[in-house]
Amino acid sequence: MIKRRVVAVSLLIALSASSAALFSSRVQAQQTDRAKQIGGKFMCMCSCNQVLTQCNHVGCTTSASMLKELDGWVARGDSETVITSAFVQEFGTKVYAEPPRSGLSLVAWSLPTVYLLLGTLLVIFVIWRWRSRALLRPASVAGRQSGVSAQDLERARRRVAQETED
Amino acid sequence: MDVFGSFALLLAFLCAGYAFVGGIAAIRTRHPLLVKSARQAGIAACGLIFLATGSLVYLFFSDSYWVSYVVSHSNRDLATFYKIAALWSGQEGSLLFWSFLLAIYVISVLLVYRNKNGELMPYVGVVLAGVQIFFLTLNNFVANPFKVLASPGANGALEIFTRADGNGLTPLLQYPEMVIHPPNLYSGYTGFTIPFAFALGALLARYPGEKWIHLTRKWTMIAWCFQTMGILLGAHWAYAVLGWGGYWGWDPVENASLLPWLTGTAFLHSVMMQEKRGMMKVWNVWLVFTTFMLCILGTLLTRSGVVSSVHAFAQSSIGNYFVGFLLLVFAVCLVAYVKNRDYLKSENQLDSMVSRESSFLFNNLILLVSCIAVLSGTLFPVFSEWFSSSRISVGAPFFNKVNIPIGLILLFLTGVGPLLAWRKTSTDSLKRNFGWPVVVALIAGVVVFVLGVREFFSLVCLTLCVFVTSTIGMEFFRGARVIRSRSGASLLASAVDLTMRNTRRYGGYIVHMGMVLIFVGLAGAAFNRDTQKDMQSGSTLDIGQYRLLLQGFDSKAEKNYTSERMIVEVWRDNKPLMMLYPERRFFQTNEQSGTMVAIYSTLREDLYIVYAGENPETRQPVIHAYLNPLVKWIWLGGLVVVLGTLVTLLPNRRAVLVLAGAPEGARVQQPSAQTLAPSIALREGHD
Repeated sequence: MIKRRVVAVSLLIALSASSAALFSSRVQAQQTDRAKQIGGKFMCMCSCNQVLTQCNHVGCTTSASMLKELDGWVARGDSETVITSAFVQEFGTKVYAEPPRSGLSLVAWSLPTVYLLLGTLLVIFVIWRWRSRALLRPASVAGRQSGVSAQDLERARRRVAQETED
Repeated sequence: MDVFGSFALLLAFLCAGYAFVGGIAAIRTRHPLLVKSARQAGIAACGLIFLATGSLVYLFFSDSYWVSYVVSHSNRDLATFYKIAALWSGQEGSLLFWSFLLAIYVISVLLVYRNKNGELMPYVGVVLAGVQIFFLTLNNFVANPFKVLASPGANGALEIFTRADGNGLTPLLQYPEMVIHPPNLYSGYTGFTIPFAFALGALLARYPGEKWIHLTRKWTMIAWCFQTMGILLGAHWAYAVLGWGGYWGWDPVENASLLPWLTGTAFLHSVMMQEKRGMMKVWNVWLVFTTFMLCILGTLLTRSGVVSSVHAFAQSSIGNYFVGFLLLVFAVCLVAYVKNRDYLKSENQLDSMVSRESSFLFNNLILLVSCIAVLSGTLFPVFSEWFSSSRISVGAPFFNKVNIPIGLILLFLTGVGPLLAWRKTSTDSLKRNFGWPVVVALIAGVVVFVLGVREFFSLVCLTLCVFVTSTIGMEFFRGARVIRSRSGASLLASAVDLTMRNTRRYGGYIVHMGMVLIFVGLAGAAFNRDTQKDMQSGSTLDIGQYRLLLQGFDSKAEKNYTSERMIVEVWRDNKPLMMLYPERRFFQTNEQSGTMVAIYSTLREDLYIVYAGENPETRQPVIHAYLNPLVKWIWLGGLVVVLGTLVTLLPNRRAVLVLAGAPEGARVQQPSAQTLAPSIALREGHD
């Protein structure tokens, strides 16, 4: 009877220990994933211009110490905002891997969209203009608006044809 | 030899000066002797640059450690072919190397067109000489690679002294690709000088605008091909050497190489509008000007220290010269354009919104937006410092977020554009050309989704890749089928025949196919995995389906470095697969370390292992393993792009039909593409 109890208790302890180990390794894995995810938002400060989690320069002590700090904060359960401000306080705004979406940095984020929108509008306008031109005028008279007369342009073309060969 | 090299450079400067001044005089007087002498001076300048470059190479090979540049970038034990790479490993040598490559292009142009295009060539020669003068000024007076080591002697006069050995080459550059990556990239940069010179020359000569396009198409393709190879080789070098598991980090120097590539690609597309329809002449001229200026801007970024980069040369005042040159080039281009813009008037007309012309306009828009977005992102840290006194970094996450959607739009246009007809595409044609590719792509999208690809951009990318592949495949199939029906040859032989009949059109498709393969590789990046572990002999590390078993370490002493290797046995699915040897090298001369990554590469994925040093706390060696899906497709895509570009450079083969079953000798010269099925005949007419 006593033997059975000992076995049962041992089993229970082993089970608890293994689940604790399992839980702890899962927590650790989650922490590692979180650290990796947050670390991907900062630059390594060794001037390699690489993201912190990707800096793999031989002997780079900067990324090693930054990652160690990050791991510590993540293990402590600090929020991303707290970690970000801690890094910014330590290294300045150049630690951001991507500009924050506020203040002047908003310009960096909005510019590509602005380019794309303005460019698209421009292309649509150009197409519309060229289409209306095709509808209004026959192709043969196109090009006569230039400051150079049609005869001069034709003469220049003939000259080019004579002067050049592929 | 250093004196000889210096003297050759100085003479080259004088010859280039004469080619420039004499060329202008020749244009004004139209005196044939002046034209000839200016051209000869241009050729002589190139020859002298070759001699100067040869001298510097000789100084490296002869271990001439009284020349400062040789001391800084070489040592006695440096392997022979790295002594060649040492030529461009520093500021002074790389600028001389730039002059050298430019001289190859210049002498080729001057010789190829020595009896052709008599009126245009003096203008082109003057522009080329102008660019050469700038670089020779730097070579002679700002960053001379032939400076010798000297110190004040007993009598106070400077005395030359010789060092016993050099400082050695940076370990990062001691990798085979470093011997071919910079020459390719620089050949791209310098190659764009030729279309620039023709465009500016033609504008100054008041050419209406069509002809220079024909003359420079091949030169532009060559420069673009080199630029593409340079970028991809650089990416492969970063992947295999830097040891961070990636190939493109959006570093300012990488971005600098991408900018002219984007505008150059836009030019190669929009130029067809000018050739076919006489449209967009102003746009094309400015695209070429911009591409050249971006090459100079890229060099400025690399060498001035304006932006921080692991690739950049040390901060120096040389950037001011580049700024000055850039402003001068812009001013010259602007004045030439304002004065002669009437000769660039285009007959811009569009018959339909759904046409090849519209697709080219959108293609150019997307490439330009990408270019400006990359440029503004690269320069944003500088601007942020100006406006807010704090520098805000812009790293890879920003560029990825901005450029991935742009890239996907471009990929979509790659599939759509070539199948639209010039002037107007009918609804029937749309259905015929896009029906099957859309269906196939949608099915592929569903399959990929079911297989577990849930990442949005990767899913869209892979679906679009299938779409573009289908459109390209259909184009080849339709054409080849017609040829096969007449010649009786196999479908593959017919496809080859089709390609050789219109190399430009079908070579272009091959280039597009290469880009598709590159996009497939890029799509894999979303699924990269990595893990890191302290290891001792006998330890294992699991990643994906692989198990890495560390068997031990060994070390070896080479002439130029000592190395420590991990001996890693790779197991897959519980079966031994192969051995990998990631290593760390220590270079005694400059006391620097470097990694050599071990990669097991398959079409499915790359197993990428880095010996990441020692954990400072546990004193245990650390292994960093990555599993990067589909990376190999990028390098394969690069090869296909180069192959396609080479095909576009071939002359078209005239069609010859061999009638099936006809006796030997019954070959029929096919008069033209008109005898093909109407749809093919029409297609052959517009590439």
